[in-house]
Amino acid sequence: MKIFTSLMLNKFFYVLFFLTFSLCAQAVDSELNLTETSWQQGLQKVWRDDIQFHGFLSQGLFSTTGNNIYGNSKNSVSAGLTEIGLNVSYQALNNLSFAVQGLYRRAGQRTGDWGEVSLDFAFVDLNFLNFRDGRMGVRGGRVKNPWGLYNETRDVAFTHPTISLPLTYFDRSRTLFLSMDGGQFYADYNTAIGVFSFKFNYGFIQADDPELLQSIVLDPNIPGHLESKSSFITHLSYETVDRDFMFAFSYADVRLTYIEHGGFDPYAGLEGEIDALMFSGQYNGERFSFTGEYSLHWNRMRGLMQDNSPVSEMWYVQAGYRVLDNLQIMLRYDSYVQNKYDKKGESFHANTGLPAHLMFTQDIVVGVRWDITPAWMLRAEYQRVHGASAVSLLDNPNIMDLALNWNVYALQLAFRF
Amino acid sequence: MRRRCGSRLLLCIMLLLLPMQILFAVEVITHAGSATQLQGNTNLRSIFSMRTRYWPNGEKIRVFVLPDDNEIHKTFVKQKLDMFPHQLRRTWDRMTYTGTGQPPITVHSIAEMLEKIKTTKNSIGYIDRRVEDENIHFFDAQ
Repeated sequence: MKIFTSLMLNKFFYVLFFLTFSLCAQAVDSELNLTETSWQQGLQKVWRDDIQFHGFLSQGLFSTTGNNIYGNSKNSVSAGLTEIGLNVSYQALNNLSFAVQGLYRRAGQRTGDWGEVSLDFAFVDLNFLNFRDGRMGVRGGRVKNPWGLYNETRDVAFTHPTISLPLTYFDRSRTLFLSMDGGQFYADYNTAIGVFSFKFNYGFIQADDPELLQSIVLDPNIPGHLESKSSFITHLSYETVDRDFMFAFSYADVRLTYIEHGGFDPYAGLEGEIDALMFSGQYNGERFSFTGEYSLHWNRMRGLMQDNSPVSEMWYVQAGYRVLDNLQIMLRYDSYVQNKYDKKGESFHANTGLPAHLMFTQDIVVGVRWDITPAWMLRAEYQRVHGASAVSLLDNPNIMDLALNWNVYALQLAFRF
Repeated sequence: MRRRCGSRLLLCIMLLLLPMQILFAVEVITHAGSATQLQGNTNLRSIFSMRTRYWPNGEKIRVFVLPDDNEIHKTFVKQKLDMFPHQLRRTWDRMTYTGTGQPPITVHSIAEMLEKIKTTKNSIGYIDRRVEDENIHFFDAQ
């Protein structure tokens, strides 16, 4: 099934490219007939108007005490986070468009030194209903999941406030909400009191991720892999008329199944279901911004030696102040507990013998961001961390050595076009 | 004496600032062919946020803007849209990097803006001065 899905996606990708270029050629022809301009002018016009290329690039530098992030950063410096994206979008007809984005990502041990290339999104967008105050449509293919305020553009440094995302978006479970192979229904409605947007994604997530699997079973030697069952993620947002305030509610139901490997696999029959919700609120004024998000995950794992169904709770509050139009300072307090009925991990430690701080993280982040030009951005931050529930177990394979209190110093340079 | 100096200084500053304000009175312009598409309740904020994407006759609106850090752009966003440039940028970025929409086309000078609006059907943009050109329609001249 996994191979079938990836083959299908590859095919889809090629077809989309051919379709894009053939339609592009047609558009060029019609443009020429209409305006009788020279061939070059016609091409340039269509190129600029209907096909757009955009991209982003970022490189991070990390130095930590206690635990590693993005490679070997502990008492050292790691350049282990690189993100490069390139997308092309084509508005073929007034109500039909195509969009594809490729992503190169290097993120510590998770992707290895050479990083990974992936298809971030690739879909056909049919905007079947357009009226003065709104629109409705469907997108089919691989679509980004609308989860909270930052998930859809989580790999684009420019679009989120600090180098490391708030803990509710922690990297270890990024594949859980990253994107969906399936479809999306969307509706936007502009009213006198603001803009309402609704999205509903249905399909399969990219569940084959060793990081996600290990964070569930806490066993680096697990032989099989995870596969997605049909899942959905939905998102409703409201922005005030002046765009100063934004509120959103997200809900997800993600289902996973474990595919065993070899004759005797002790994890055979493992099934998981994660129901999650998130409330988001943001004030984004001229100088000040305040953001808060609260989320709960009901994790139900069946087929483990002991029944493992914790309820995880994550929340943060964040304040930003623009000293200048292009210079912003940020402050955030962030909390993530793996099981809200065992916030300090004491029962977990008593039952498993593993460190209690695998079950919680609280941190404070202080950062400064400088938008050198609209295309270039540089930022720096310091994080004081208490706990280890969000660290990568691939970057920190020795679970018993995880530090409880640690520091992160980070620097990031980003470019976009 | 010091107080008089102070008030003179203040006057000088005000006199200096006054023409700057006039200089930065931003004018929204469209291609002359789109003049008939403009209505009393045309929502500029929705057009520049790329939420309203078609003129009433169904033609796609071609939106042109200056870079985020351009003073005319900043003034335009505040004066005409009653928003801040970073709010607009957030909306455009979300569309751009999720593939769900295309942001406006950025031009790098007033001359380029005028050229684009003159030569592109269904276009809309803004400038910081009034010009006489039969291909350019001023939004407030309704």
